[in-house]
Amino acid sequence: MRRLPSLLILLLLSLRGLASPYTPQADEEVLEQLPRRLAAVPRQGLALPQALGLAQAALQRARQEGDPRELGRAQALLAPWWHLPAPPPAVRLLRASMLQTQHQFDAALQDLDALLASASTPLALRAQAELTRAALLQLRGRWPEARSACTRLAGHSYAALGAAVQVHGRVCLAELDSLQGRNESAAAALAQLARYPQAPAAWILLLRAELAERRGLAEAEALYRQALQAEPSIYTRAALADWLLARRRWAEAAALVLSQQSNQAELMRLPDALLLRLAIAWRAGGDARASEAAAQLQERFEAAALRGDGSAHARERARYALDVRPDAGAALQQAIANWALQREPADAWLLWRAAQLPAAPKPLAAQARQAFEQFRRESGMQDARWSAAS
Amino acid sequence: MKRALMLWLLLLCAGAAQAHKASDAYLILEADATGLSERVDIALRDLDRELQLDADDNGQLSWGELRARAGEIDQLARQGLDMTLTDADGGRCTPQALAPLQIETRSDGRYAVLQRRWQCRAPAQVLTLSYRLFAASDPTHRGVLSLRGPAGAAQTLVLSPDGHATPLRLGAAHSLLSVLRDGVHHIWIGLDHILFLLALLLPAVLVREGNHWRPATRLRPVLLDVLGVVSAFTLAHSITLALAAFEILSPPSRWVESLIAASVLLAALNNLWPLLLHGRWRLTFAFGLVHGFGFASALRELGLQREALAGPLLMFNLGVELGQLAVVAGFMGLVWGLRRRPGYPRWVLGGGSLLIALLALVWLLERSLDLDLLSPR
Repeated sequence: MRRLPSLLILLLLSLRGLASPYTPQADEEVLEQLPRRLAAVPRQGLALPQALGLAQAALQRARQEGDPRELGRAQALLAPWWHLPAPPPAVRLLRASMLQTQHQFDAALQDLDALLASASTPLALRAQAELTRAALLQLRGRWPEARSACTRLAGHSYAALGAAVQVHGRVCLAELDSLQGRNESAAAALAQLARYPQAPAAWILLLRAELAERRGLAEAEALYRQALQAEPSIYTRAALADWLLARRRWAEAAALVLSQQSNQAELMRLPDALLLRLAIAWRAGGDARASEAAAQLQERFEAAALRGDGSAHARERARYALDVRPDAGAALQQAIANWALQREPADAWLLWRAAQLPAAPKPLAAQARQAFEQFRRESGMQDARWSAAS
Repeated sequence: MKRALMLWLLLLCAGAAQAHKASDAYLILEADATGLSERVDIALRDLDRELQLDADDNGQLSWGELRARAGEIDQLARQGLDMTLTDADGGRCTPQALAPLQIETRSDGRYAVLQRRWQCRAPAQVLTLSYRLFAASDPTHRGVLSLRGPAGAAQTLVLSPDGHATPLRLGAAHSLLSVLRDGVHHIWIGLDHILFLLALLLPAVLVREGNHWRPATRLRPVLLDVLGVVSAFTLAHSITLALAAFEILSPPSRWVESLIAASVLLAALNNLWPLLLHGRWRLTFAFGLVHGFGFASALRELGLQREALAGPLLMFNLGVELGQLAVVAGFMGLVWGLRRRPGYPRWVLGGGSLLIALLALVWLLERSLDLDLLSPR
């Protein structure tokens, strides 16, 4: 239980947005669209393999649908092992993935390091831990460490598991190359890897799309669309929406975001990342609902901050302050806070954009510019969104 | 195992969280003079997962389906939120019947709103909460508690569903009478304010002639002098008390406290080596301004809401004046009786002022240099 008196103002702000409670008029009035109901699961006494299977499925739903309640469900299923300092390797691996999804990167890394350090971790789990760890290190901008992990995966250490692991290792290396400015060779490597039967098709398509966008190539759009078709994830949908937004195709971006919605009037079902793109598209396209979407986002940020999850939204908040309710100071603050957590191309782009704002507070802008320049020098990353301009 | 591995690998590209909001319930508790109003907002999606409210299983929850299960929903909420409330007299407050179920729309969906009153015989004082709503089905669930005490002071707490009992003090109700008493109390325990007044009053019953003091013969000029001094002090500190209470001016407390000590020192020294004999009210007014800021910090400690400050501020000031008047009246009676004693100028005025000056000097050093000279470590 934590005491958060400073959040009082936030609470008051978030209460301000509330209408007072109401009594619906008719019994037939529909109040809520419910997610698919799952088969009832006994709360206690699940054996480990059964609990693991259900928890994995919940984690997958959490990522596909962007619903953190599924993470809570997975954690509940693993409750007997969750708080153990050294749970069984399979639980520990799942715990690391869940912590990563909740932006608890350090705790996730701790679990992954421990799994790789222990001789009793089965080889398949070790490979998975290695790959998860590589993704996490890459996200945090710790590329040399990520590269060693990917090299191990691409080498012979995991040969006993079949060719799939090696292919994943090589995809992972190609991604790192693409981040470090070796654009052509990375693109060629990814295109070649896509032909392997064991290749993770959706992942490769997404990486190729993102790389094509950084290279300023129009083929990015087709790649994004193929990636979305291969696996309709929120991340890919948001990335394609960003591509459309960057080309001022507001109506198409809004339609893409809303295409999964059964009831288009109910914004509350949209995951944050998609609501954000919708708010940008509506605002830029002069849609009458723009302010409603913006207010909803603001409320969500405030509600998340109330429960203590404020920092997990820094990327979205920076974008919000850039493109939804322009606020140079907030954009810089959030972009800098986000940069301390995540260092992917999207984060570098936000940092760069915030630093360019004419109305930006000088010391913050200088800090952002310095961080960005240092990153650009050290990483060698090239991105058409900013390479040409700076 | 290999199949499982492949499935997992596919997950990677999903990247980091596309965070939607996790499950929260909102508890809004407001205490008042006769009890407490309780409001709990629980997401319909959470309730459906727990109670399977969607009776026709069509993926849509209707008002009829929800309303039919209001009793079970309340039962679930009460099991998840174990609450006891005691009043200022130590009595147990009793929960009243649940108000009709209502609905609230929030940014991530609709919520059931459960409201009831808790009745107490005296103002509610201690709230003990143990929260375990959805503990078994979603350990990432949180209760966001907004708690408002009877005086209006509010706090926000985030509750994990861990079932730990947390006692929360709602704070005694600040009735206007109690604020008046606080004002009196503050002047009586505020030795620096009292000594400042005493230093000003000690010579009031004497008249300076050349280098000597002689007892005053007529009461009227003495009372006029005292009235002038006390009025100047009152007017000055009332001004700054109000300015500070409304946060128009808030000088650093170290400066204020040091200047208060300096004012006591100067008033005492003026008795030993009189420089300013006539019109002492001017000096009193100037220093009174500083003392007002000192009163303000005591008022602030009562934790009053800024919107409802005018009444308590007036009562607090009135309390200060009443306390001050009692001190002045008692002391004037005493020194008026003693003024003809031959030792009065030397021992009472001189000795007293010297003692006050010494004490004030120690305060001044302590407060300005942040030392601790008198109290044992």
